[in-house]
Amino acid sequence: MKKFIKWIFSGWMLILFFVGFFLFWEYSIPLFDIPRYILPSPSEIVSKGSADLDKLVYYTGVTALETVLGYIIALILGLGFGIAISFSSILRRTLYPFFVSIEMTPKIAFAPLFISWFGFGLMPKVIIVVLVCFFPIVLNAILAFNSLSNELTLFYQSTGASRLKTFFSIRLPAALPQCFVGFKYAAINATVGATIAEFIGSDKGLGFYISIVTGNMRPDLAFAGIFFLTVLGLTVFGFVTMMEKILIPWHISMKRINK
Amino acid sequence: MKNFIEVTELKKVFGNGEDEVHAFGPATININSGEFVSVLGPSGCGKSTLMLMVAGLLDSTSGKVEFENKLVNGPKTDIGIMFQDNTLVPWRTVKGNIELQLELRGLNLKDYQEQINNILKSVNLEDFADRFPNELSGGMQQRAAFCQAMIHDPKIILLDEPLGKLDAMTREKIRADFQKLWMVKKPTVIFVTHSIEEAVQLSNRVILITPRPGIIDREIKIDLPYPRDLKVKRSPKFTEYVNSIQEVFHKYGVI
Repeated sequence: MKKFIKWIFSGWMLILFFVGFFLFWEYSIPLFDIPRYILPSPSEIVSKGSADLDKLVYYTGVTALETVLGYIIALILGLGFGIAISFSSILRRTLYPFFVSIEMTPKIAFAPLFISWFGFGLMPKVIIVVLVCFFPIVLNAILAFNSLSNELTLFYQSTGASRLKTFFSIRLPAALPQCFVGFKYAAINATVGATIAEFIGSDKGLGFYISIVTGNMRPDLAFAGIFFLTVLGLTVFGFVTMMEKILIPWHISMKRINK
Repeated sequence: MKNFIEVTELKKVFGNGEDEVHAFGPATININSGEFVSVLGPSGCGKSTLMLMVAGLLDSTSGKVEFENKLVNGPKTDIGIMFQDNTLVPWRTVKGNIELQLELRGLNLKDYQEQINNILKSVNLEDFADRFPNELSGGMQQRAAFCQAMIHDPKIILLDEPLGKLDAMTREKIRADFQKLWMVKKPTVIFVTHSIEEAVQLSNRVILITPRPGIIDREIKIDLPYPRDLKVKRSPKFTEYVNSIQEVFHKYGVI
């Protein structure tokens, strides 16, 4: 009960902060005489944005498809390569340094190339999302699968259990917390990748919408687009966080959040 | 009759060339079946290295280990092992962690339910079977780890400073638990420690290891009756053993 009251209270603090933030925004525009083509007020964003709602919802769907598809592919590839590299010394000496060196290049710089190779459709955007999500996932997975404590390694060796059995009983669950660090980081990257890919070359999607309306001097609609992007980003991140809570409820960082 | 465990000229060197570190040995040790042997030495003397080599969990540089005349050339599986940092996994309860030992060995969990309850009771953890390790104190965790290491009734028990991180009172309590279990089941125990008192209280024999590279300085048979409770610990003979060991380490300048 005490916990619940505390939770409500902390929730109210946050809501109060947001209300204050938007009120300040709303009333500082007439106060400081900011022209509406520079910064529109929240109420204007809502009223103008709702007129464009059909388009915004459709474009959110387009961007969501690119984001989710790219993220899932990156997840499968990242975990697969991560596990393979952790268990093979040959791959660890070849693929791993290769991945680390690629990690240093800004992946998004490849985006124009992909657009020119694969056109304006869904595929180049998915590839770009995969590219920006793959590296945090694979590098964290490698770290995760290589950081089993010495004691646990000796323990399972002393049982004579097969590699498959130890993988599912010990190695995989022990690796999940660190893997989720990568999954969450990639979830943040995913919408960013999709948006930038749409900026560079596309005929639909929220990134496309934002770049067009900004060109038409309509920052109110751009903010409406940004709002939908934020909702999309939060949904993806929220889903990954929920999966983390379901799959590793025992993890210490989870417990601290609950308290 | 040959000895249960025979360690012959066992030596370990880590690394090679300029980075070479001579960690342990050469040392020759014989251990009888059912004996409680402590390996006592200052930190860094290679006593853990010795224990792992005996268990086949670490390759030796030279020399050999034999169990009942059979050469050890890979991890031994008829052992129970306990470390300073316990091997409880955070995603399983206390009971789940004990069952992990059985699952990894492909044993039938149903056959062991009663034994799990009994061993938990013997260390006063029966009310904590469904708790997760991070809900327990350090001492309780170590007692749970003890159950995990013993549930499959290993013939050989390897203890690598299992009480190292605990407070004095908890140590005393778990020492008594160890002794109780050993007196009932008589497994062969190799106990690595740097506590002189602990070694004298528990062991049939204490092997004193010199500072690195560790070699055997001497072996001391502890001729005291079991169970070695407070009364035995207050006896002049007990103090005499402790003092004589202290003198050896004093000579090396480690205490």
